[in-house]
Amino acid sequence: MLEGAKLIGAGAATIALAGAAVGIGNVFSSLIHSVARNPSLAKQLFGYAILGFALTEAIALFALMMAFLILFVF
Amino acid sequence: MRFLSTDMKDRNMLFAAITTNQPIRSKCSRLPDLHDFFPTNISQNFAITPNLDITPTPERIAGVTIVLQIEEYLGQNESEQGAVNLARTVLGARHRNGETWQGILEDIRAGGGMDNFIQNLPGAYPETPLDQFAIIPIIDLHVGNFYLSFTNEVLYMLLTVVLVVFLFFVVTKKGGGKSVPNAWQSLVELIYDFVLNLVNEQIGGLSGNVKQKFFPRISVTFTFSLFRNPQGMIPFSFTVTSHFLITLALSFSIFIGITIVGFQRHGLHFFSFLLPAGVPLPLAPFLVLLELISYCFRALSLGIRLFANMMAGHSLVKILSGFAWTMLFLNNIFYFIGDLGPLFIVLALTGLELGVAISQAHVSTISICIYLNDATNLHQNESFHN
Repeated sequence: MLEGAKLIGAGAATIALAGAAVGIGNVFSSLIHSVARNPSLAKQLFGYAILGFALTEAIALFALMMAFLILFVF
Repeated sequence: MRFLSTDMKDRNMLFAAITTNQPIRSKCSRLPDLHDFFPTNISQNFAITPNLDITPTPERIAGVTIVLQIEEYLGQNESEQGAVNLARTVLGARHRNGETWQGILEDIRAGGGMDNFIQNLPGAYPETPLDQFAIIPIIDLHVGNFYLSFTNEVLYMLLTVVLVVFLFFVVTKKGGGKSVPNAWQSLVELIYDFVLNLVNEQIGGLSGNVKQKFFPRISVTFTFSLFRNPQGMIPFSFTVTSHFLITLALSFSIFIGITIVGFQRHGLHFFSFLLPAGVPLPLAPFLVLLELISYCFRALSLGIRLFANMMAGHSLVKILSGFAWTMLFLNNIFYFIGDLGPLFIVLALTGLELGVAISQAHVSTISICIYLNDATNLHQNESFHN
């Protein structure tokens, strides 16, 4: 019973990935828009985009951490 | 799963009967389903039908004691399915091979009881993707109440430090420092330039000479992360930063240091950091609270970001490589796709993880710079906010 509830909880924790997916998509779509408007800034913008990607991805990993907490700690 | 289907009362009675050498017949309405546990031999010794006359021989007592101990172990540890299955097969096999229950029981007692016995069985715990993060003491060391062992974590950290210091030493002093750099010297110069540009870009603002003061600290943080994160990608090595003990210690010390720097430079005026300029007065209490929370959360997010990235990446590679390993030996109709596909995915993922390892060093350094900039320049030089 508890085991099953844990699995359900860990699965539910991955719903948060939807938000992270939107975020990462947003980062790169903005990058493409910006580069299309001003190609000369491409290099600088790419650096910012990678930074934004890493920050967004880290949020997704918080969800993974919650899943691990649910599965292995409690 | 319970091997003994009798209730607590019957079990206690059974145990009492055995230890006092009494016949069980009158006391126990139903005997435990021992054949659940030891499928063949013991069920001949203990019949399962009720009201059977059993005279407890030492051998039977040993058998029942083992079962009771295993059940006690099960009561304490809810979900040790793998361990229990193994104990069952191992013990059952040993009995079928001609060992007596008494001998096995002696063996278990010599090994420190049933708990230790089950935990020490080879492969008692199924290998999980998280096994790679286990901290193993290499040299056990206890000082008073402190546990100061030399673990694999310390080993890899020392390795990183030695690597970095050696590289920098070779490049800058002995045989290095040339005006036309060789490959190693350009690598170090690249790293140095990269951090210098980063610091100049992020921390500048109104007080221009701050950047020089903190550059060595930030440079060391970056270089250490840069060398230590990809080190974990070497197969069978250990990732130091996949433990939040390490990353949180790093981020908390940096956070405290940055707060001290803020107070040093601005005194009590540093508290104005919590209230952005031009905020209507009624909103102030809420905003101060929010800013305070977001300020304190920086310490956590800095450490957890690095830790979560490292841990998730390594677990993912481990899970997928386990999958690829299984698929390699699967000779089926999807011979080429099924066998080699996952392998290439793992290969690609390893590349991605290397990228993540380096970019996380970059990201955490940028975050430190941003926080330091906030503390020294108090919102005057607006940049990224996280």
